[in-house]
Amino acid sequence: MAGSTSIQPIAELLADRYMAQHAGPAVEVQGGGSSAGIRAALSGAAEIGMSSRQLKPEETGLKEYLMARDAIALIVHPGNPVRSLTKEQVRGIFSGRVQRWEAVGGRSGAITFITREEGSGTRGAFEELVMGKETEIAPDGIVQDSTGAARAIVATDPDAIAYISLGMVTPEVAAIALDGVQPTHESATDGTYALTRPFLLLTKGEPTPKARAFLDFVVTPESQATIAEEGYIPVKPAGRGSGA
Amino acid sequence: MRPDPALARDQDLDSPRRDQDLAVPNGGAMAEHKAEMAREPKVRVEGLSVFYGGVQALKSVDLPVHANEILGITGPSGSGKTTLLRMVNRLNDRVRACRHEGRVYLDGREIYDPQEDVILLRRRVGMVFALPTPLPKSIFENVVYAPRIAGMRDRRKLEERAERALRGAILWDEVKDRLDDSALALSGGQQQRLCIARTLAQEPEVVMLDEPCSGLDPISTLKIEQALDSLKATYTIVLVSHNVQQAARATDRTAFLLMGELVEWRPTAEMFTNPRDPRTADFLEGRFG
Amino acid sequence: MKTKEWLIEKTLLLMALSAVAMLALIAIFVFIEGTPIMAREGLGHFLLGRKWAPTKGSFGIFPMIVGSVWVTIGALVIAGPLGLACAVFLVEIAPRKVADIVRPAIQLLAGIPSVVYGFVGIVVLVPLIREHLGGPGLSVLAASIILGVMVLPTVISISQDALEAVPRTYKEGALALGCTHWQAITRVILPAARPGITVAIVLGLGRAIGETMAVIMVVGNAVKVPAGLLDPARTLTSNIALEMAYAGGDHREALFATGVVLFMFIMLLNSLAALRFGRRRPSP
Repeated sequence: MAGSTSIQPIAELLADRYMAQHAGPAVEVQGGGSSAGIRAALSGAAEIGMSSRQLKPEETGLKEYLMARDAIALIVHPGNPVRSLTKEQVRGIFSGRVQRWEAVGGRSGAITFITREEGSGTRGAFEELVMGKETEIAPDGIVQDSTGAARAIVATDPDAIAYISLGMVTPEVAAIALDGVQPTHESATDGTYALTRPFLLLTKGEPTPKARAFLDFVVTPESQATIAEEGYIPVKPAGRGSGA
Repeated sequence: MRPDPALARDQDLDSPRRDQDLAVPNGGAMAEHKAEMAREPKVRVEGLSVFYGGVQALKSVDLPVHANEILGITGPSGSGKTTLLRMVNRLNDRVRACRHEGRVYLDGREIYDPQEDVILLRRRVGMVFALPTPLPKSIFENVVYAPRIAGMRDRRKLEERAERALRGAILWDEVKDRLDDSALALSGGQQQRLCIARTLAQEPEVVMLDEPCSGLDPISTLKIEQALDSLKATYTIVLVSHNVQQAARATDRTAFLLMGELVEWRPTAEMFTNPRDPRTADFLEGRFG
Repeated sequence: MKTKEWLIEKTLLLMALSAVAMLALIAIFVFIEGTPIMAREGLGHFLLGRKWAPTKGSFGIFPMIVGSVWVTIGALVIAGPLGLACAVFLVEIAPRKVADIVRPAIQLLAGIPSVVYGFVGIVVLVPLIREHLGGPGLSVLAASIILGVMVLPTVISISQDALEAVPRTYKEGALALGCTHWQAITRVILPAARPGITVAIVLGLGRAIGETMAVIMVVGNAVKVPAGLLDPARTLTSNIALEMAYAGGDHREALFATGVVLFMFIMLLNSLAALRFGRRRPSP
């Protein structure tokens, strides 16, 4: 399987568990990004594609299986007094209109916002969920190509803000509330927290028996518990997803 | 007829004393010799031993060099001739693993004394190397290199100095019209005379030449020897040569080095006609070296 | 015997040719993939355009060209003098014991993976710059320093070779003329080694302009023409490496075209170095 780097870590974990319990062919997990995952599934290069965004209308011919949901958290330095922003404020910051922390109720200082590279699944989800169709992420923002790097910067820079998967939030950084809703498992699961996205597994047509076995494994209660432990939002054991 | 190395080592122990013993029986030369010993030589090497790592290059050498003479130092390759020169202008200072015992005096002052200024010493004791070593600059710039380093800026003075030095090295007539050409364009013999001129331009008191003619044709060699003869009036000259004929032609006194040991040193004519030590005789007759 | 010689020669020839062929294939591939979009967008627009929004149809790589040039020059300003000083120290001044320790240490420096440099940069250097000099820390300066350290081994070892190749007679000739050791170094040895030192710097330049991983981590990657050393920037290499994994269609072609520009830069530098080598005077 191949695709979204956001899904990759949890997929690797599940693959290891799966292989430990089941004899037989190995499950190999590769990154590459959501678009690459979709292409890989379509071309047959991977039996299962991984996408952390909804498929675009032109991307047809794939069966989707929802394995989990991910919430995107906005993170700031723990010493930053700002603990809540509105979606509008976030949009302002990342589009470059709002450049000072005091404009959003913080102490005086220039905002350093960190975004992900063009084509990243997390960026795609953030653009879709926050920026909307009209506003763009300003081109002069800092770009980092991994969650780890973005988090490392926020952890050391009191004026930085970034977005990363909720599951990747660590105590070195502070996740802040959006429109008054703190990102937690609960708020993401029940839908009150707005910045959530699906983790989709994709097959071209009917899955192969080998792929089917893994897809079934992913939605067992144990696997879903693992997903929850890792900071993602599990889907209900029954909600295996539907064909596209 | 190669000397037994063990024998050479044994003789080494008492060699300084023997030098003097050897001088005694020769009547006429002895008086002259004694007179020389009386005044302070320009350069005096005293009990000098030099080691490169574990290898001993010079073995307790004692040798005076008198003002306004040409002293030849001869001996086969590897006998320590170059090392002896390099010790006199302290060019071995920065050679790692080189250490020495004994003393070297210039005008009665120990040059290895920590108080002595090595740069000043090198200005007073010039050196010309075996292979021509022009710097990749013009002829003029090569000649005035030392005065420039010493801080001379006046163009006229530099030109005067260059002309005098080039005339001294018998090179002036050949290069006076192309002083700005690259020194590297000169022939080997010209380059070597340029190096002599360069040394003269620093106005030293002692000029040491290390096999200056080793790579040169007979005519160039002759020119250099002529130059040396005319320079004797002004400078003290030490000429290292493994070429016995050159030593015979161009020097006043000759010292013979063998495997780091100073076998004997005497007026050239005397040494060539009547060598004291059988090893000297062997060398002069071309039996080794 | 003849046949054996013939066989060996031809085998060697074949191997040499295959190396060249591989290089040619890579070049051709990059050019085929990259040139159509330059033609479509117009070379001027592509090279001088300031807007890069590849998923929205804007392909201007001017900020990246400027970013690469700034970061590379910055790296050289740091690595050039430092590397040269270090080489002079090792060749001319250091006692042998010190040189014997420092030389392998420098070689080791060349063996450290670039991601480690980047990591050190992001954890140590970037916060330092932010706190003491201002700006976001992720900046041209940070990238220049990290790159400067990364190209140091190249600059040092090649300058060292150049200095060691200066005939010993030059130095001793100068010393015998009454130069101090320092004068011999600055007036004789360095000028004589200049062609080799230039090569060292140009090759260091090539390495700096091509380095990717560490740069991505510390340069900030913002698509804008940097206004100063403390501004973030994006280099040609980081542009490709950041986006290639996800890119398709025009976006992918534009990244290949970025590669073409980078290729030209490096070709130019290397031919400059080759010219310098060619002109090197045989020592007298």
